[in-house]
Amino acid sequence: MSEKILELEHISKFFGNVTSLDDISTSVEAGKVTCVLGDNGAGKSTFIKILSGVHKPSRGQYLIDDKPVEFDSPRDARAKGIATVFQDLAMAPLMSVWRNFFMGSEPKKGFGPIKWMDSDFARTTAKEEMKKMGIDLRDIDQPVGTLSGGERQSVAIARAVYFGARVLILDEPTSALGVRQSGVVLKYIRAAAERNLGVIFITHNPSHAYPVGDRFLLLNRGKSLGDFAKEDIEITELTRLMAGGAELEALQHELARGR
Amino acid sequence: MSEIVVEPNSVANAAAPAVSAPTSADERISHRGPVQRLLVSPEIGAIIGAVLVWAFFWGNGNTFGTAATTLIFLDSAAPLGIMAVVVALLMIGGEFDLSAGMMTGATGILVGLMCKYFMDTGAPMWLAVGAAFVLAGTIGFFNGTLVNRTGLPSFIVTLATFFVLKGITLVLAKRLEGKVSVTLNKEETRFYKPFFRFFAYDYKPQNFSGRDVIFFTLVIVGVALLSAGLCEQSFIRRQSLHPTTALIGLVGIAGAAVGFAMLHRTDGVSSNVLWSVVGGVAVVVGIGGLGLGRYAPRAKSPTSPESTESTRTPTVLVKIVAAGASFILLACLTPLVLNRDERNEILKWFPSWLRVAVAVVAASTGAAIALRQMWPRMRERMQWHRPIQAFLFAVLIGLLVMVGTLSFLQLTTVQALRAIAMMVFSGLGFALLLSARGRAGKITSSLQLTVGVITVAAIIVLAFVVRHDSQAVRFRSGMFGAMILAAILLSVNTVLEVRLEKRRLPNPPADKLGRRLVAVGTTLAGIGLAIRVVFTNLSNGQQVVGKGFSVTRMSIVWWIVITLIGAFVLTKTKWGNWIFAVGGNKEAARAIGVPASRVKTGLFVTVSMVGCFVGVMVLMRFTSVQASQGDGQEFFYIIAAVVGGNLLTGGYGSVIGASVGALIIAMSDNGIGSAGWNQDGKFAFKGAVLLIAVLVNNFIRKKAQEAR
Repeated sequence: MSEKILELEHISKFFGNVTSLDDISTSVEAGKVTCVLGDNGAGKSTFIKILSGVHKPSRGQYLIDDKPVEFDSPRDARAKGIATVFQDLAMAPLMSVWRNFFMGSEPKKGFGPIKWMDSDFARTTAKEEMKKMGIDLRDIDQPVGTLSGGERQSVAIARAVYFGARVLILDEPTSALGVRQSGVVLKYIRAAAERNLGVIFITHNPSHAYPVGDRFLLLNRGKSLGDFAKEDIEITELTRLMAGGAELEALQHELARGR
Repeated sequence: MSEIVVEPNSVANAAAPAVSAPTSADERISHRGPVQRLLVSPEIGAIIGAVLVWAFFWGNGNTFGTAATTLIFLDSAAPLGIMAVVVALLMIGGEFDLSAGMMTGATGILVGLMCKYFMDTGAPMWLAVGAAFVLAGTIGFFNGTLVNRTGLPSFIVTLATFFVLKGITLVLAKRLEGKVSVTLNKEETRFYKPFFRFFAYDYKPQNFSGRDVIFFTLVIVGVALLSAGLCEQSFIRRQSLHPTTALIGLVGIAGAAVGFAMLHRTDGVSSNVLWSVVGGVAVVVGIGGLGLGRYAPRAKSPTSPESTESTRTPTVLVKIVAAGASFILLACLTPLVLNRDERNEILKWFPSWLRVAVAVVAASTGAAIALRQMWPRMRERMQWHRPIQAFLFAVLIGLLVMVGTLSFLQLTTVQALRAIAMMVFSGLGFALLLSARGRAGKITSSLQLTVGVITVAAIIVLAFVVRHDSQAVRFRSGMFGAMILAAILLSVNTVLEVRLEKRRLPNPPADKLGRRLVAVGTTLAGIGLAIRVVFTNLSNGQQVVGKGFSVTRMSIVWWIVITLIGAFVLTKTKWGNWIFAVGGNKEAARAIGVPASRVKTGLFVTVSMVGCFVGVMVLMRFTSVQASQGDGQEFFYIIAAVVGGNLLTGGYGSVIGASVGALIIAMSDNGIGSAGWNQDGKFAFKGAVLLIAVLVNNFIRKKAQEAR
């Protein structure tokens, strides 16, 4: 067994008198994929924001390498190796792939106080890193906007990996994609895990989560429906729990009677 | 994803003894040649436009484009150019600054007032200038902070700043001076001299004897490096130099140098023609020889395996070439039919209305065909199978062009008709011939050579017709020179393309070397040209405008320096990357750790400070400044940036493009004056330039993206 990188213990989050998350616990191991599943309004976005350092938990403990941490900003989280790939991918579509890749952390060279960007290094590195993700770009100078959705995801993932991420948080990476492109992204998620990263994969689609996940945390209306290892749960059960379990069964009865 | 199919690496290597085998053998990556890379750059439209506008006015006035007038109009355009650079940076960062124009006037007035009214306290000038810079920076900071904090559109925020600035400036100037301008007292202002030297020094050089030698050497070396760089990026290197061919090439280069030196020395018409032909042929031999000596020859087999096309295409090809040649012939015949001399024999055969009708139809058909070719959507919309509709549309375009040209250029009907007809005919002819040349290249190289030779011959014939026909001396010699130059370039290109194997795979070291050579070559040629312009003694046989010497002002130097700094910052530093990022996707940039607010505020501060710089520059230049200085100029800054290929929505653009855009606006102002046309027409001209530049930018970018 590999060691746990990140652990959440009894995390709760309140906004005024609204309870967004209530007593959530889970863990992420190196080289494993933890899937966080939940329908709309289940508290997934609050969960991500706590993980990535945007919000602080109101209660509970956030542990990294078994030590409790407190993040004041996403920058702090990134410094600890927690990288978040948001749904909008954090990319400028008109900028070239390599400029996007090094956005915010440009490699520098020069002498004395005069520094400029090492664009040769940036170009070759971006190309190599994309290759490691299994994407061989035709032209590293092409604008990111001309890439397909899956390729764009992989740029974001490769970027996070290159800049020393130990835990990769992916916010609904497949939600805007077609079937084939989703499959491609799932492949990159696996590729990232194989490079010994811990991955947190947030989605509302169990059929995307099940093939790549090692651990499944189910959220419903801010509460945990359970934190399962893969061997303890079947995809049918996962789907049933996710869709609201008992409620859905009642609905099915109702629909059947209506006919 | 459309993948460009390129022949496998092995075939290319077997066919040509390539020594520098590409390191990354990814056959999907098609190598983008230097020309194609230039075409996707944002500033390409502005650069083409600048050359065209320059050529247009050069041919149409007798004073535009001499050393003295160039330096004068560059001086007056410098404020616009400098501001366009920073406004472009801000625009790429996704914001506008409407107070930028007023800032130049307000700071100028402020410094003037401070120098005047704090004089008795013994305050030196640098204190006033320093205070103005601090104030400008504060206003910029205020603009930026307000935009960041409130999320209001910068359009509104800076519009408010603009009005406040304008109001305060007017009130201050009128209260203290009783008028809306401030004049510096040169004698009583402390530290006036160093400021004058820094901002507005005027350099009046003597003609020095080595000027022409230096000019020619730099330009020839520069062009040689430039073409070497282009070749390096386009072709595959041989294992070793082919000595005989290279030697012939060297002899050719030497011959070219001699030919052009002689061309420069002689004045007679026939000797000019003689030496330009000698020089031209020598250039072709020189570059051709060196190219063939250094790079690997082309494979004998046709590059395109599609045999069906190669058997079918020649008939199509012959038709295209014939059509192109006949259009050129029409262009050559036009001066005969539409003769300047109204009593001409042939003209008696046609009543004037018929001539007008024929010319309108001819010109407009050409324009319509061109439009139809350029815009695929228009091809769908317009139902071209309905001849009447097409005809009416064509006539409408023709009439518009006619009326516009007549009223704007103040030409006679016949002159305008000749010009339009020749332009349309020759344009169509060359477009057809060039496309035929491209097609031929896909079949066999000898076919391409044939079509290339026909095209070159057509250009030369037309060059002589234009030279013989036109009465305007400048236009005549300019057009002749340009066409001969085009013929030379096309010959060189044809020789190299037909004989050499094109590199289809990227080869980073060669590409890098090529890019460096191009950069160094362009710089050298530019320096040579600048030396030629700056060191001009105007009393020396040239047309004298004003004083005896050309005057170079510091303003021009600052324009160039600030453009270079801006371009460096934008493309080569992390700040530039952040500007692109903030303009392209602010939230994303912030999420990834770019200090978005700081970048934006920094840009606003930069614009305001540079506005202050320009204000002080204008004050030093004229020793007085009007409160209306810069008022309303902010739109021209934005126009210059847009003409230069910057997107109004941010995230994309070029500083050099903005600078060239400012140059285009300045040239339009100056050229219309020197050509003696209606001054009010310049607004129409600028509007047309803006529209055309943006359309061309869009069109080229789209085409270039598709071709990737």
